[in-house]
Order: sequence, then C-alpha cells, then structure tokens
Amino acid sequence: MAWMDSLIDFVRRYRWLVALLVLGPPLIYLSIYFFAPFVITILYSVGFIGRRGVVTWQFTIRYYQEALRWVYLKVFYNSVVLAAITTVGSILMAYPVAYFIAVKAPKKWKNLLVVSVMVPYWVDFLLRTYALMNIFTMLKMMFTYEAVVVGMIYDYLPFMVLPLYATLEKLDKSLLEASYTLGASPFKTFLKVTLPLSKPGIASGTILVFVPAIGEFVVPAMLGGVSVTTIGTLTWDLFLKFHNWWRGAALSILYIAVVLVSLILYMRKVGELEI
Amino acid sequence: MSITDRLMGLYSALVYAFLYVPILLVIVFSFNESRTLGQFTGFSLKWYQVLLEDKVVWVAFYNSLNVAIITTLVSLLLGTLAAYGMVRLDVGGKGAVDSLLYVPIIIPEIAEALSLLLFYKFSGYQLGWLTVLLGHIAFDISFVYVVVRARLAGFDRSLEEASLTLGANEVQTFLKVTLPLSMPGIIAAALIAFTLSFDDFIKTAFTTGPGFQTLPLIIWSQSARGGVGPELNALTTVIMAISMAIAYAYAKLTMEK
Repeated sequence: MAWMDSLIDFVRRYRWLVALLVLGPPLIYLSIYFFAPFVITILYSVGFIGRRGVVTWQFTIRYYQEALRWVYLKVFYNSVVLAAITTVGSILMAYPVAYFIAVKAPKKWKNLLVVSVMVPYWVDFLLRTYALMNIFTMLKMMFTYEAVVVGMIYDYLPFMVLPLYATLEKLDKSLLEASYTLGASPFKTFLKVTLPLSKPGIASGTILVFVPAIGEFVVPAMLGGVSVTTIGTLTWDLFLKFHNWWRGAALSILYIAVVLVSLILYMRKVGELEI
Repeated sequence: MSITDRLMGLYSALVYAFLYVPILLVIVFSFNESRTLGQFTGFSLKWYQVLLEDKVVWVAFYNSLNVAIITTLVSLLLGTLAAYGMVRLDVGGKGAVDSLLYVPIIIPEIAEALSLLLFYKFSGYQLGWLTVLLGHIAFDISFVYVVVRARLAGFDRSLEEASLTLGANEVQTFLKVTLPLSMPGIIAAALIAFTLSFDDFIKTAFTTGPGFQTLPLIIWSQSARGGVGPELNALTTVIMAISMAIAYAYAKLTMEK
C-alpha cells in the first residue's frame, strides 16, 4: 500500500507536525471555549468591556470595590461557613463508612458498597436535591437553613467517602496489628496510627467538598429559597436576574482567586490530589 | 465481630439509607395515585402517562439526548487525542499542558458557566442549542483526557514495542495494539462524558437561550418555588434511572482491573 508507506514516512519525518496535529485540536478548542471566556470575564471585571459588548479600554477597579462591599463580604463569609459545616459534617458521616468498607466489610460486599457510593456521585445535584424536596416538604422544613445544611451534606457526601476509602484501602493492616501487639488499645491505635495515616484522604476529600461548596448554587437556591444567600446564588442573581455582568464578573474572579489559592496551598502541603 | 465493628456496620447502614431513601421516595411517589405527598393511596402509572403526552417534555428529552450524544462524540475525539499526545509523543512543555488540561475540572462550574455567557454575549453568538453544546464539550474534554490518559499510561508499553519489532508499522500498531488496549478507558470516558452532559444544569442554564430547553431545566423551572409533584417525581425518576444505569456500568467497567 503506497499511501500507507508514505503516511509512515510522513509520521517518522515530521514528528513535531504529528504532535501538532494530535495536541492541536483539543488545545485550540479549550483555548477558545474555556480559556478565552475567562479572559473576557477579566476584561469585563476591570471595565474594559462596556454596554452592548463594546470595548472601551477604560480601566477601573470600581466593580471590585463593589464586589468587596460589606453586604457581599457577608455573603462570602456565609458561604465559607456553610462550606465548612458541610465539610465537617461529611467527614463525620463519611469516615466510619469509608473505614468500614476498607477495613471491616466482608470481601464479597466491598465492591457493591463502593459502587453504591459511586452511583449517586454521578447524578447531577439538581436531581438529588430535588429528591430531598419531597422529604422536606413533608417535614415542613423547606426554606430553612437546616434543610440547606442537610442538603449540602447529602449532595457532597460521596465526594468525601471515595477519597477516604481510597486512602484507607491502601493502609497497611500489619501496622494496626503491630500497634495491638505492642499493647495499644483499639482507640489508641486509631488515634495514633489510623488517623494520621488517613490524612491524605481527609485532605483530598476536604478539597473536593469545601472548594465547590463555597460556590454552591443549586442546594441553597432549591432548599433555602430566598432565606439563604451564598456566592452561588448571588452570582446567579447578578447574571440572570439583574444582568449586572460587571459586578458579577468581578465577584466571580475573586471567587476563582480564592479557589486557586486554596488549591495551591493544598498542593504545596499534601501533593497529589486523589480523585 | 466486636461491638465496635457492629456499631460501625450499623452506622454505615444508616448512612447508606440517608443516601438512598430520598431517591427511593421519588420513585415511590412517582407511582402514587394521589397527588398528596406522604400518602400512598395506590399504584398508578398515570403520571408517566402525563409525561408521555407532554410535548414540551419530549422536545426537552430530544434536546438533552442530542446535546449529550454530540458532546460525547466530540469530547471523546478531542480528549483521546490529548491523552494520546501527552502520554506517547515526545514534545516539550508537557507539564504545563497537563496542568492546563486539568483546569476545567478544578474551576467551579458556576464560574465557568458565567464566563461562557460573557464570551457568547461579547462574540455575538445567538444563545441556544449551539452555545449549550460548545460549553458542554469544553467541560467534558478534560474528564475524557484524565480517564483515557490513566488507561494509556497504565498498560504495558512493551506490547507496542513488540508490535513494532515484529514488523508492524506505527499506524498498524496504533490501530491493532494501542487502540484495543485503551478501549476500556475510552468506553469509561464516554459514559462519564454522556452523564455529565445529559443531566447538566448550571452550564445549560447560563448558556441557553429562549426556546431551547433540556430536561434538567424543566425540573428547575417547575420546582423553583418549592413545587414538588408527582409529574416531577416521574420525570426525575426517568432522568435518574438513565444517569444511575450509566454510572453503574462505569463502576463495573473500572472496577474489573
């Protein structure tokens, strides 16, 4: 086959061109539909783009000042508190479960138990939050802060169980036996051996829950109504209700900055993220 | 089993109940004859009947499916190319490119969604089917990349070398060795890409225009003011059944290593 030979010849001779043809399309696509939009967002946030999308090149920090007003800082604070409660709540719920699956559960049950956590992990928050609405309506708990907290933990729980399980699964069981043999009680063994060794899992789970939870929109909007305002609901309102894109853009850039800083700090401390 | 083990087992059972009871209730109430929540008066399929006769639901279902299928195909192609290039090609600057490919997974969805909206408005796109589709693809490429890359990096490279040594050329080796061996990863990636797109809400809500509705948007607009009802339970049951079946297939596929 002559065309095949010339193709092989081409592949061997122009390796850089092949690399360009392979890596080019995905990178160009992401540049246009993922990275360029962020550049545009930054341009909006500093006032370079005005009404009707006209480029004005007039730099202003006005929108950042607006986004840092006391009312908005309070929303930021509320979001961080809600995210922290969600994280602590899901660690408390997830840890015993992850430990049970990884260390205690009979072997034949293990796969089923892990799959049962993974399946809700892939269903969009909108649907799972809607599922909670039935119960909260029956309990007359709709539009309360408690409902939002339960909903947040409910939605984020799988994001905590899976990394914890991944870490505990790899835990060397002989270390536990060594601790028992040397006279430590089960409680002491847990405190001095198991818990320190599961730190990477706790850290990964915390990042996977805390960071997106700060910007969560669906749960506070559906279960909290107008009673709970977060960065997520505020962003939504600024964009889709009030069409204040400039302030919304500044707010979003600030939020992304918080996310990136916490991720970088995390990477420095713990290293690889386990998903 | 000691007492603490039993207690931990019981606690785990309760957490699983917490995860699944709300989902089960949606399914149960979708078959409830009565409109009243909490009172199961009898088994009925009438709410599914209502869904089947609702033209708006059918159009939204078609839209969801249409976007999810095209998103899956395009992001599969682009994500696999990226994974193959990063694992197999000898080029500089890989570390930086790898980080860039991870960014869409890390950035919160709502931030990405609103930046897309600003981009579309600025570039004069007409919001609708195309803008939703382009956004879903941008998001899914990275997930495909991560999954396929893990598979490509995971299998024994000497199999490819053996193929080359035994006289097969690069193209034959790719088609007969590399591609079949990475198939489980590609299928897993396709399943993720499809589910992420099919039941996506945030990105779709920000990037859609008048007249283009998907199934999650229907659930949102009808439940926004606290309105739960048997029709919505039936619709949620259908979407969740599709997503969960795919998630189950994915879990099965990735756990048989």
